[in-house]
Amino acid sequence: MTTPKTSNQLKFLIGGVLFIAAVVLLIISATQATAEFFMTVRELQESEEDLTGKSIRVSGAVIGETINYDAESGFLHFTIAHIPGDEDEIEKGGGLEAVLHQAINDPDLPQLRVVYEGAPPDMLKDEAQAILTGSLNADGSFLAEELLLKCPSKYEDDLPNQVQE
Amino acid sequence: MIPTFGYLTLALGFLLAVYGFLTMIWGMIIKSSTWRESARLALLLIFPLVSFSLIAMLIMLVDNRFDVAYVYNVTNRSMPLYLRLTALWGGQSGSLLFWSWLLGGFSMVFAIRMRDKAMDIFPWAALILLAILGFFLAMNLFIDNPFEQYWYLADGGWTIAMFKPSGAWALLPQDGQGLNPLLRHPGMILHPPALYLGFIGFAIPFALALGSLAAGRKDGRWLEISRPWMLFAWVFLSLGLVLGMRWAYDVLGWGGYWGWDPVEISALLPWLSGTALLHTSLLQRKRDGYKRWNVILIVLTFSLVIFSVFATRSGVLASVHSFAQSAIGPFLFGLLAVVFVGSIGLLIFRWRGLKGSHFTEFKMSREVLTLISNLVLIAILLVCLFGVLLPSLSERFSDTQITVGPAWYERITGPLFLLLLFLMGICPLAMWSGISLNKNKNRLVVLLPISLLVPLSAWLLGVRSAYTLVALWLSGAAGLVILWEYVNDVVNALGQSHGFFKALWTPIQKARPRYGGLIVHLGIVLMSLGIIGLEGLQQETQVRLLLGEETALSGYQFTFEGLESSAPDVERLITEAELSVSRKGRFLGSLYPQRQVYLDMNQAYSQPGLRSNLAVDLYAILADWSGEGEATFTLFVTPLANWLWIGAGVLTLGTVIAASPERKTKKD
Repeated sequence: MTTPKTSNQLKFLIGGVLFIAAVVLLIISATQATAEFFMTVRELQESEEDLTGKSIRVSGAVIGETINYDAESGFLHFTIAHIPGDEDEIEKGGGLEAVLHQAINDPDLPQLRVVYEGAPPDMLKDEAQAILTGSLNADGSFLAEELLLKCPSKYEDDLPNQVQE
Repeated sequence: MIPTFGYLTLALGFLLAVYGFLTMIWGMIIKSSTWRESARLALLLIFPLVSFSLIAMLIMLVDNRFDVAYVYNVTNRSMPLYLRLTALWGGQSGSLLFWSWLLGGFSMVFAIRMRDKAMDIFPWAALILLAILGFFLAMNLFIDNPFEQYWYLADGGWTIAMFKPSGAWALLPQDGQGLNPLLRHPGMILHPPALYLGFIGFAIPFALALGSLAAGRKDGRWLEISRPWMLFAWVFLSLGLVLGMRWAYDVLGWGGYWGWDPVEISALLPWLSGTALLHTSLLQRKRDGYKRWNVILIVLTFSLVIFSVFATRSGVLASVHSFAQSAIGPFLFGLLAVVFVGSIGLLIFRWRGLKGSHFTEFKMSREVLTLISNLVLIAILLVCLFGVLLPSLSERFSDTQITVGPAWYERITGPLFLLLLFLMGICPLAMWSGISLNKNKNRLVVLLPISLLVPLSAWLLGVRSAYTLVALWLSGAAGLVILWEYVNDVVNALGQSHGFFKALWTPIQKARPRYGGLIVHLGIVLMSLGIIGLEGLQQETQVRLLLGEETALSGYQFTFEGLESSAPDVERLITEAELSVSRKGRFLGSLYPQRQVYLDMNQAYSQPGLRSNLAVDLYAILADWSGEGEATFTLFVTPLANWLWIGAGVLTLGTVIAASPERKTKKD
């Protein structure tokens, strides 16, 4: 037998549970449809799985001289070099800025050609960190749907130039 | 000299915080009001001291003191005065100093106002504020010091240090690095201080809530005193978020306003819990209940504020925000842990005493609707927090790192935000006793058909997405319900033979908290119209045009009229295109998108050409060109976009009305 008070509470409970279940369902379906695997350039190239067409997020250092925008077709091409995906490893390498600088000057590191349909963003330049979302093409290049760029603010590691004594 | 002065006053401020903290504890132990008063004076004095420190920094920023590493990093000779002053928060250590200064200022106002009120809460609250202030001042002094200078060392090397190393001499760079041009925008200049005012504003209610718990109070006194602080914090947090959106819209050149970047989201989190708190604090005022929930919400909000600061500076989240990884990250994490665990521990300790007598009945009353909106807000918060933490969590528990992007957030939070709009729409129809179809018959008969005109007209204009149409209908309906309330009250006031203009103002004046709330809701509704325009109605194209050639996008003709390059100063090269716009053969005006190249900094900035009215935004980016006869443009046509910014203004106005003191006694 339920008293009015417990049946009242039961209604809140049922309402709450239904709401939470709906949100959880939304999360599950959205995760299945849109979640991306974050990989480094090396992981991407050494992976034995067939990744063609899968939604992937990859990060790397932009090699400035490879940036090429073809206004005719509207496609942007550039190449990124491998940087570690792990925050600790980046710290060990001397911070993001140092890691990006090393990456573009080390020809032994794996590189990835990127294709993007759209104009070059302002932040796309040499030694910027590119965070790309998209998928692998059959020819091994990366088709980016979304381009995030990060230029580490120069911080206290550089000797100021134009020094006067 | 000046750096040392700034550093020393900062150090004195820190010592005062330590002194105040210890004397307050001592005064509480021996129950001495003299000692407690001494601690209160210490809390008052920190602000003037940090102000000296801040002024020292401003002088150095204006005075080209490039021997100071911070000044070197954020300014250069070509920056105008206002940008040099605002460079105070252009880098990490300076923004930390600014943060401590604001917190000191708030604490001072608090200490002055609190003198006679609630004497049992005050010592505890002051203790908490002193501890938080001490923490941030220590960060500035020992970890991230903005006054450090460059020095040449005797061995030929160089270093950065606060005090001159032996045998070293000062290194004076001729010019500084300057502020990234992308950040030289009013939105970005005002975004950090607005956000900080919001963040820090929540420190006072937090201290009051914990003070109330520690003092063993069982009533809602802390909420009463907190109300103006909460409104203040909330409106600045809202403005900080919107200014960031405006900056993204004007500067990043992708026609968007919000990228679901983890750092952006981390600033939204305290806004969500703060919004929930504003609502349930009203319930606690009205009923003897929700005491624990409100404490949980303020603890959550302040913890999320610290989380947000931590997220911006620790580098743990993959974000485009360019604050470098900072040494203060681990300390902030420690503060977060202490604040969260300590507060929750204290709450559990006092749990039983906070039991309310109130019984909530299951029916669609205003109370239950408020609770549902709370649930939705917290659900959005948890979803966002989950999304932000998912990369780190998935890496910890498996080999792969899983990330989620805008599509993920939009899919989940979109329906939840629509639910909030719906709740906002029906809330004015409900009474505290419940919702009655009968009482609302008139309103429903009139408003339902009118509200359907909104999606109907959108449909006639070619909108076919059901999702967008529903969203438009919900915003339209919610807006109409609010306007109906107002019109109704104005008609009543006219009935009482007020003059027309007086009748327009009287209802608002009579019930400011209620109207403040309604106007804030109206602001949110208007903002949601802008968001629907940007998310659901925006048309975009990228097109290559020859001189004189035209292209069409959602009914507008864009014609490429010319291209011109100029060098207004040694720093910049500007290329500007002219696009004329017409609709159905009628000339509307021209867009002038620019691409500016800052030569020194190797940074380009695409300034959009923008024509904006209440109905639509026309937005063009000059992407590329060859010679003067050919150029590539990215064009956006975005209906309703302007309402996002207008709504933010209305929201601010509403908060001011809600916070302004009432002249007459409350009426419901």
